[in-house]
Amino acid sequence: MIRINNVSMKFNLGVEKDNSLKQMFIKILSFWKRKKKKKDYFWALKDVSLDIKKGEVVGIVGTNGAGKSTLLKVVSGVYKPTEGSVEVNGKISPMIELGAGFDGELTARENIYLNGAILGYSKEFIDERFEDIVEFSELRDFLDVPVKNFSSGMTAKLAFSISTIVDPEILIVDEILSVGDIKFQEKSKHKMMSMIEGGTTVLYVSHSLESIEKLCTKVIWLDHGKVKMIGDSEKVCGAYYKEIMGREKKRGKKE
Amino acid sequence: MKTIKNVFINFKKYSFLMKQLIIRDFKVKYKRSVLGVLWSILYPLMVMSVMALVFSNMFKFSMEGVNYLVYLMSGLIIWNYFSEATNNSLTAVVGNFSLINKVYIPKYIFPIAKCLFAGINFLFTLIPFFLIVLLSGNSAEGTKCAINIYYLLIPVIFLGALMFTIGIGYFLSTVTVFLRDVLYIWGIVLTMLNYFTPIFYSLTILPVWLQRIFRLNPLYIYINSLREIVIFGNRPTALYILAGLGIGFVTMIIGMIIFRKKQDKFVYYI
Repeated sequence: MIRINNVSMKFNLGVEKDNSLKQMFIKILSFWKRKKKKKDYFWALKDVSLDIKKGEVVGIVGTNGAGKSTLLKVVSGVYKPTEGSVEVNGKISPMIELGAGFDGELTARENIYLNGAILGYSKEFIDERFEDIVEFSELRDFLDVPVKNFSSGMTAKLAFSISTIVDPEILIVDEILSVGDIKFQEKSKHKMMSMIEGGTTVLYVSHSLESIEKLCTKVIWLDHGKVKMIGDSEKVCGAYYKEIMGREKKRGKKE
Repeated sequence: MKTIKNVFINFKKYSFLMKQLIIRDFKVKYKRSVLGVLWSILYPLMVMSVMALVFSNMFKFSMEGVNYLVYLMSGLIIWNYFSEATNNSLTAVVGNFSLINKVYIPKYIFPIAKCLFAGINFLFTLIPFFLIVLLSGNSAEGTKCAINIYYLLIPVIFLGALMFTIGIGYFLSTVTVFLRDVLYIWGIVLTMLNYFTPIFYSLTILPVWLQRIFRLNPLYIYINSLREIVIFGNRPTALYILAGLGIGFVTMIIGMIIFRKKQDKFVYYI
């Protein structure tokens, strides 16, 4: 279903890049002075290989900056890997950043269509499922309000409802189950579970080891862009927890 | 061959998205304005009225036996389209980065959507333009314009201009990602081009060697073809029409190739 072959992803560091003439000029000058060039890139992913079969629910754990989101973006096609390749068979529904396609000036109704189009739905499909989306989002009374006037919880609810309305073959989830109020959280968890039970292949990133252990059949542990451990969810989560808390303890002793 | 087929399949798949993006641009543009979309007609009409006033009354530009108002307008509508479309294309990729960085969307949609958006605005300006064509002029001076069979060629001219603009749009949106200075440089280039394109003056006031160079300006080809038909009722030679189409097509292909070659690097530079 998803095959990741030796994928590496290199990023340039820092915000300032050579994308202005001034920067180019400075670079040329500093070259003259033979200043040693600083290393200004890093590998967000290094030689990651992974096979995911149909119906598998794969969790990804790791500290901040370990490359979890980068891996999801590589799989969903946002990033093209610097090295290696990714093969994906099946329709992907990415839930990486909810509401990325919202335009604050437009109303909720208009945004449902815009965001649906961004996710690759057709007009007929959205027409057909419009009621379901509105129903699930619990925002019927706010349909004609510009999204910029929404609270962040409301925006997230709307976004979640739009992106889960499909029955995707592959679902990519980046820490979104903690959206909205308690009632909505329960509802979204249910929705998720029913998708998983329906045979959807899932790639799931979360910092909640509890939910990972509960949902996933297989877990990958990423550390500084490399795969540190891969396998049974209980085993990997346990090892990960031990290592992280161990680091904390060591640090605690030093201080 | 396979990639061409893929492009078409994708194009169909994402045409709804393109429509949504264009609709969004319209809605956002006219949000909270009382007259709304009417501005698409009123704004160019008023700007053109000012230009007409300045050039025909203050500077006394006029041409013997030529309807100067129509002459000026035909240059202006095409020029305004080109200027709006390319200006919008500059930020087509940079301005949509929050999307490009988060969801997979074929990026080539954005510059085309901007050019089509300007194109629709352009179609609105045709309403006041053809009103002026019909109402202005004086039959005693022989400056009355008449609708003729060659009007059927006008869409072909516009198609050439559209393709030309899309090509430039692709090029600009690509370069802006790597070199933000283009945002400013393009403003200067546009001002220069504005004067180098015979919009309010006639080519014949220039020395012959300069005329030769100016004739190579693709925008002039489109403007001149339109004028031949609307003002003089002549059929532009087939070669001239084809040249306009050909230049447009080639520019579009070159722009697309540049964009395609660089599009995977966009995410590193924004």
